[in-house]
Amino acid sequence: MTKPAKNWLEWTVFAVGLVLVLATLGFLIRESLVSGDGPPEILARLGEPRPAQSGHLVPIEVTNVGLATAEDVSVPVFLDLPDGEREEAQLAIAFLPRDSRREGWVHFRSDPRRGKVSLGPIAFEVP
Amino acid sequence: MTGDLAPSPGRCHHPDVPARARVSRARSTGESLREYGRGVAGGLLFSLPLLYTMEVWQGAFTMPPERQLLYVVLALVLLLGYNRYAGLHPDSTWAEVAIDSIEEMGIGLLLSALVLLLIGRIGPEQDGREIVGRIVVEAVTVAIGVSVGTAQLGGDDEMDLGMKGKDRITFWGQLTLAVCGAVLFAANVAPTEEIVMIGIELPGYQLAVLGLSTMALGTLILFYSDFRGSRRSLRVEGLPGVIRGAVITYAVGLVASVIILWLFGRFDGMGPGPILGQTVALAVAATLGASAGRLLFQRGESD
Repeated sequence: MTKPAKNWLEWTVFAVGLVLVLATLGFLIRESLVSGDGPPEILARLGEPRPAQSGHLVPIEVTNVGLATAEDVSVPVFLDLPDGEREEAQLAIAFLPRDSRREGWVHFRSDPRRGKVSLGPIAFEVP
Repeated sequence: MTGDLAPSPGRCHHPDVPARARVSRARSTGESLREYGRGVAGGLLFSLPLLYTMEVWQGAFTMPPERQLLYVVLALVLLLGYNRYAGLHPDSTWAEVAIDSIEEMGIGLLLSALVLLLIGRIGPEQDGREIVGRIVVEAVTVAIGVSVGTAQLGGDDEMDLGMKGKDRITFWGQLTLAVCGAVLFAANVAPTEEIVMIGIELPGYQLAVLGLSTMALGTLILFYSDFRGSRRSLRVEGLPGVIRGAVITYAVGLVASVIILWLFGRFDGMGPGPILGQTVALAVAATLGASAGRLLFQRGESD
């Protein structure tokens, strides 16, 4: 086979292209081999509340530690106050791929430090 | 396909062909830069709708890695075919065709990463799989766009001369061009919700009308609209020839639609009705691309 006539720029572009294509193929082959079958597993964690202009904000961090992508993830958050009153909010995440993290905020009218903030049952769909 | 590999007068180092017949030489870096510029322009022109489509970004994590892998491999095969039959340097050897295809895929990957970064669709907060997935799913159309752009948006430089001695494009060549056109057009709409909606909501008789209209549209483009090269590149032998051409083009459109929809996971969990509906809905774009591809994406034969 003869050596194709190429200038240095073309050889450079080819070399970069070859590295990118091989790296992509290698990554996808590895992913195809190691990815197992299993449902998504969603973990949610509440952060420290902070005062906002009208009420209080609580950060939520949602992580998927399972083996598949979760779709339409809904994370309910409750604030139970000592007087028996309850504030409810729901965080909705369109897509949560495996090993990925999304952050959101819940806005409560009352100060969460006066009561107890808790997470409800998490629901999601598998695409 | 072996007939297509016969030495063309422009090819050198073949025992039957004198070395002086070789017209190819290393291009200057300026010429190469212009060629890459055309490729980048083509890549962006043909794939911008896809780069700006949410369902494609989501495809990165709804499409399993093995399908993404298959998508890239199929794209590389298509690029090889396109560069062999319609690329800018038709007198190229298979090694050169392979080099061009790798270059185009590399540019496609780089370009899609760059645009996704610019529009904030990939970033450090994402997992590696998601980033690679987004780039890969977009890069396939960008790479085909780069290939078509390099070959089609060019000026009439001396490199076009290589085509003069080339034989009439064979059936397999035409088929490759049709598939390239079909994929380029169909991939832009395949991942959208609209295809599912049309496929699920249309009643059977309307799908049949849509299918027949698509065939009519393909025939119109191929034989009657006087597109560039439509008379030269297609030998029409009366009505049977027209019908044969229309059926083949529609078949290419249907097959390309099925493959792309399956790759994007549009058939997962669907019954036969919605599968057929979506295929017919997407085949409109694919057939349009297939018929236009056969005419537009090949370098015109010598007048």
